[in-house]
Amino acid sequence: MIDRDHELLDDLEVGELAVEYDAREPEDVLEWALDRFGESRFAIITSFQADGMVMIDMAHRINPRTRVVTIDTGRMPQEQYDIIDEVRKRYGIQVEVLFPEASAVESMTTRHGVNLFLQSVEKRLLCCHVRKVLPLNRALKGLDCWATGLRRDQWATRANIKKIELDHDHGGIVKVSPLADWTEQEVWDYIKEYDVPIHPLYQLGYKSLGCMPCTRPVPEGMEGRLGRWWWETNAPKECGMHCSIETGGFEHEVEAILGRQNGHALTR
Amino acid sequence: MITDESRPEVDRAVRRRERPLTQEEVLRRNSVERLKQEKHPYDVLNDIPRFMEIPYEEIPEEDILRLQWYGLYHDKPKVGNFMMRVKIPNGILTPAQLRTIGRISAEHGENSGELTTRQCVQIHFIRIQSLPAIFASLAGVGLTTAGGCGDNLRNVSGCPVAGIGAEELFDVRPTVAEIARFFYGNREYGNLPRKHKYTISACPYHCNAPEIHDIALVGTRQDGRDGFAFWVGGGLSSVPRIGKNLGVFVPQAEALEVARGLTDIWRNDLRYRMSRAKARFKFMVDDDGPESIREQLQAHLGRTLEDLHENPQPIGRTDHMGVHPQRRGDGATEGQGADLYHLGVPVFPGLMSGEQMLRVADALEEATGGRGEFRITREQNFILTNVPKAKVESLREAIEEIGFPLEVNRVRGTSIGCTGDPHCNFAVGPTKPKLLDIVTHLERRFGEDVSDLRIYLDGCPHACGQHWVGDLGFQGTTRNSDTGKITSYDIIVRGKLGPGAEIGRPLLRRVPSEQVNGYVERLVGAWIDDRQGGEGLPEFLRRLPDEQILAVATGERHD
Repeated sequence: MIDRDHELLDDLEVGELAVEYDAREPEDVLEWALDRFGESRFAIITSFQADGMVMIDMAHRINPRTRVVTIDTGRMPQEQYDIIDEVRKRYGIQVEVLFPEASAVESMTTRHGVNLFLQSVEKRLLCCHVRKVLPLNRALKGLDCWATGLRRDQWATRANIKKIELDHDHGGIVKVSPLADWTEQEVWDYIKEYDVPIHPLYQLGYKSLGCMPCTRPVPEGMEGRLGRWWWETNAPKECGMHCSIETGGFEHEVEAILGRQNGHALTR
Repeated sequence: MITDESRPEVDRAVRRRERPLTQEEVLRRNSVERLKQEKHPYDVLNDIPRFMEIPYEEIPEEDILRLQWYGLYHDKPKVGNFMMRVKIPNGILTPAQLRTIGRISAEHGENSGELTTRQCVQIHFIRIQSLPAIFASLAGVGLTTAGGCGDNLRNVSGCPVAGIGAEELFDVRPTVAEIARFFYGNREYGNLPRKHKYTISACPYHCNAPEIHDIALVGTRQDGRDGFAFWVGGGLSSVPRIGKNLGVFVPQAEALEVARGLTDIWRNDLRYRMSRAKARFKFMVDDDGPESIREQLQAHLGRTLEDLHENPQPIGRTDHMGVHPQRRGDGATEGQGADLYHLGVPVFPGLMSGEQMLRVADALEEATGGRGEFRITREQNFILTNVPKAKVESLREAIEEIGFPLEVNRVRGTSIGCTGDPHCNFAVGPTKPKLLDIVTHLERRFGEDVSDLRIYLDGCPHACGQHWVGDLGFQGTTRNSDTGKITSYDIIVRGKLGPGAEIGRPLLRRVPSEQVNGYVERLVGAWIDDRQGGEGLPEFLRRLPDEQILAVATGERHD
């Protein structure tokens, strides 16, 4: 059966839109997405890094009812909950906090131990999969379009990211990355200019934000890679540093390493 | 909740941030432009000995990207295995070259091998530690991977029976050789705004798909002279374009000068350095139009080009498969006296192991006394050349023995599946296995009725497998269900190459994998039943309204 529940854009339409919006401002992209898909079928999905905060602020100025969704993996540091509260207060919105499926976490930790991520790359990937990716997929199921804070200069192979594209990893819905061509400097300039709240862990020297046991501050001048899964060797490269569930790359790695069937079986 | 009354004003002034067209801004916006400036990607060669000594995860990602300039991409998962693409101008290999590639595959690539749509060979599972030995053996037989990926002029493709085809207008091999010699590994041209693709042929069938190349040199004759029309700005990926006629006739001797001039006006234009999403030459042709491109080119060359009197049109389509007599009396066959033949052999779905390469090289060498060549076609097959009439039958048997039978449904030769899953990081679903499944089903159901169909399948929108222009195209995607993600395919209809070339439309979206064969069977069945006057599947589907195609494909209605 062909899905006719809601209208979908096809690759040709989205390809032309990506060209049209490529040199446009992030606010224009957000406004387009909100107009095109409406408040209920569009959401910003973020873990409140600087990029995500800028997007929330921009979207709020366009439509204060813009949905903001985040994933509480169950292993977050207190600061993560603090920033969620601050966003609620500052923007007067209900941040939607998704939690992993209890039974999946229970069977995983019963079988492999609660700190399974320390044991092997495979088990760490499994942990990410259960706690982060499956809830993400659940969030995306109800959307026609989602916004990510991906930027082209975060990682060498992200240079080709388009501001508007189809997310073929997630049901062919639309994915927008309004900040794609912004530099890190522009992100922080915006934060300063508009007095946007920032995640408290940045001040403690964190370069990437994630689960508490898997992230740590990186001393100035040291490689960002040391801030995440620093105990691992032979981890998939991008995952070892800029692990991003937003690119779809993480899911490809999980499928390749754990196996499509295996990946599912391990969660049961 | 904030009420409508307290809703803040959208600050539109904020939206007009400065974005001047300067080199400084290019470097600020485009990280790849930056990393090409910081270290020329070709210089990453000097770092390889160091990379061999350190753990893979310590190699900077920027250098992994620079390795693309040597034809290397991450395999999936990204744990230190690479796919290596060997550039083969016009897809032509000597037996010794084929043997070298086969040996590399056997020794360093777990025996893997793929023939590609741009007439290259790809090998997987390559480790950094193997690179010095591999590069040395390739150089030893005059092959290179330099510029195989990255922002370079990629492999120069063409008609696989160039120089020997009975119907070819003239021999373009000297032009291909001249252009490949100039560009391959050329540092000055190792910093193009983006990848860049030429194709060159005088094949009257346009079997090399000039419609979908950045720059196509389309062989033609004007006033008794051999030369080229130039088609510009074609390309696929998620913004597919059919190339446009530049309106010039370029004598064969001037081909490099003019092609290079076109590449120059593009690479010197900062507009196409700002963002990689809008960097390909096709966007310049979109923005400026072919007339302006011609004017810019003439200004750059400092001379006026000759008008083209008649835009060359393909006389039909062919896959060059099967046994055909070669043209006599030119460089390829002169002095050999005997009747020579070329054998087109379907390789389905484009996979050829290193061991098979070695065995084919042996068989070919033996049958031709070393004069034969192995030539790769756009549709991922090979052609063996310079085979004496007396040896055709025994060579055919030997090749069949190696795993490549000639007597198969021709749809096996005219179908394409991209690298895809399991190797490629972009694909979201199986590709070659899925192509095998679809084509096998069609053969079983319709036999010879589908022998002329082009089934082109890709795992992602990049369209290496050219799904936009297959008679039926397929692109991997996913859909969500209660039990998780389901591998699905978009089905693209009405596209085709050759006479009436057009980009297809993804009319049937997210068809679950297990339902794809049903959709295809109903579409193809309707065409076989209702086609008029020998029309092809794309023409048939162009005649049907969208709703009817949907109804037929889903089985909601049989007409």
